[in-house]
Amino acid sequence: MEEFTKFVRGGILGPIKKWGTKWSLWPVHLVTACCGAELAHAFACGYDGERIGALNYGIARQTNLIIVEGAITRKMARVLRITWEQMPDPKFVIVMGACGLNGGIFWNGYNLVKPSEVVPVEFFIPGCPPTPEALLRGIRQLQIKLDKGVAENSLTFSEIALEKGKKPKVLPVSPKVVSNAPSIVVAVKKAVDWEFGKQLCDRLKAIGRAVITAKNRIALKVEVENLRSAAMKLKDLGFDHVKSVNVIDVPNEGKFIVEFLISSYSVKELMPVLVNLYTEISRKEPKISSLSDIFPSADYLEREMQDFFGVNFVGNPWKGKFILAPDTPEFPLRKDFKLEAESYVGD
Amino acid sequence: MIDEILATLMNVFRSNSMQIPLIQPIVDYLMQIPLINILVALILWRPFFAVVIMPGLAVLLLYLLYIVWFERKLTARIQWRVGPLEVARPIRGAIQALADGLRYFFQEAIVHRDAHRPYFVQLPILAFIPILLPIAFIPAGNAVGIKTPYAIQLIVAFLALIPITIIAIGWASNNRFAFVGSVREALMYVAYEIPFIIAVISMIYLYGSGDPYVAVEKQSLVPGAILNPIAFLVFLITMLMATSRLPFEIPEADQEIAFGPFVEYSGMLFGLVMVLAYEKLYIMTLLFVILFLGGWNGFYFEPLGDLNAPLCLFIKTVVVISIIAIVRSMYARYRIDQTLRYSFSWLIAFSMVALGIGVVLGWIL
Ligand code: SF4
Repeated sequence: MEEFTKFVRGGILGPIKKWGTKWSLWPVHLVTACCGAELAHAFACGYDGERIGALNYGIARQTNLIIVEGAITRKMARVLRITWEQMPDPKFVIVMGACGLNGGIFWNGYNLVKPSEVVPVEFFIPGCPPTPEALLRGIRQLQIKLDKGVAENSLTFSEIALEKGKKPKVLPVSPKVVSNAPSIVVAVKKAVDWEFGKQLCDRLKAIGRAVITAKNRIALKVEVENLRSAAMKLKDLGFDHVKSVNVIDVPNEGKFIVEFLISSYSVKELMPVLVNLYTEISRKEPKISSLSDIFPSADYLEREMQDFFGVNFVGNPWKGKFILAPDTPEFPLRKDFKLEAESYVGD
Repeated sequence: MIDEILATLMNVFRSNSMQIPLIQPIVDYLMQIPLINILVALILWRPFFAVVIMPGLAVLLLYLLYIVWFERKLTARIQWRVGPLEVARPIRGAIQALADGLRYFFQEAIVHRDAHRPYFVQLPILAFIPILLPIAFIPAGNAVGIKTPYAIQLIVAFLALIPITIIAIGWASNNRFAFVGSVREALMYVAYEIPFIIAVISMIYLYGSGDPYVAVEKQSLVPGAILNPIAFLVFLITMLMATSRLPFEIPEADQEIAFGPFVEYSGMLFGLVMVLAYEKLYIMTLLFVILFLGGWNGFYFEPLGDLNAPLCLFIKTVVVISIIAIVRSMYARYRIDQTLRYSFSWLIAFSMVALGIGVVLGWIL
């Protein structure tokens, strides 16, 4: 078998094979980020990548080229690897975009992976996004590499002598700093002309401290212990779903603010109203009772907050990671979260 | 002993060989060289010529190279693009399909763990049998593989075998997309096969025989397409369905189910299954030309001799296929339920009308 492989690769059939592969580089559809728009452009009527024999094709099994279009998240890294492994040999990878090179605008993000760590990459095309010309040039470079056996540098920079006696420019420091957040006020009172809101506020007084923050917006503060009973009472008033669950991290005061944005689909006059039911919990032991049995729509939102902040919603049956990839570092949206510093090893 | 056998063979071949005045001097020259002469005689032997050269395998390969390129080029022009070009600039990239074919040929062919190995590997090759068998029965003037008065019926019967191999391919792949694709193929099979067969039967009634020679002879004045235009239409539509061309590209819909039955194939095996539909299209179009467009009736040049008929048939076929290629870039895809509803109501009704016309005309003529 070994000999056979060798023969096919380099024997008398080698040049024919090379020629076929060179003119038939079919990229698979693996659109992960916004660079995909530029890929589409490169194969549409303006530039027409099909001229050089590249044809966008359905699935990995029948093609031989992956163009990684920009950002690869932790979850997509798995997909990329699977796609690559499905592909029959010989196969090639081209990475386009700053994101794929070193993170680009998502640099230092907790969820970003470099494609070159997942699959062997043949060529990088810098730019955000790279122009279609650049992408087509990447494919041409790959063709040249297939032809000659070695990759050529297609880019040469002209050299400019440094001016003497000038201070070197200092680059801005990286934004890896924890800001000392000022205290965050959720309920800022605002005087608005809203008759129904005032009546509603009076009714909500029995539940907690209600404040009108804008037209159709009411902030309602309750203590942690009273959260469930407050939610019950809101339900009795006609509110029937949770639109969103937010957590605000206030590290300098050692607390999380947990907000449930509650509204109604069933009572007409309550439909535009958004009640922000919020409470504060300790940062050391972030525990709060879940509202998912009262408002089922809160379920997924709570799971997401569990992922991002590590707030434990007691009563929500989900444990473990929900949206994030399983290997994401713990609680990436907490303000004191620190990424492992990147280290570069020189030669 | 061997000499005797060779001599008998030679006699058999020579007694029934193609007469082409244009290349006669070359043939005469080659005939004087021993061993080469028997090869030349074999090639010019009419049954062999019909099956292996024209309109058989050799031109089938040529046609495959041409149609894949032509289709891509045409689609590109319709979308304001250029299409394959750089691979061979002077001939407008006409060997693009060759490059793709070579690439497939040398790529790794993966047989995945869940596949039924023997069938997975065998079936793409087995699928060629129902493709090759009809070629033996398709005549082109004097060149004919096997001559029988039931040729048209036989061709239709062999064509009906192809979807079975495709369904088997999907089954052997053991993949959910392949499964969905095979089920769709099976549904489509039932949907197009009935109107298709009725349309063919209507033409057999019209000509009073299943013999292609009779059919072509009866069309010497008026082609079948004008005699029975409804059968013509039904045949055309069912042909699109049978070869899963675009408005009916349902079993292979690559955006939905990623090439359906063929999803797991790679390398050379995929190259084999991908051309199945094109080969089926070729054979169906040969039948189409014989039934509706006057078969090999057409030009006659003295120097070409016996080659006139196969050449005429082939040119007509390629022209028809090139026209059919346009639908690929013009239509969106139907849903499976739409296609089934359409085919089980209108298409069958039309084919019945065509049958009526066929019976009446066959009785008059
Ligand atoms: S490099 Fe720019 S265009 Fe490309 S994926 Fe990243 S952000 Fe989007």
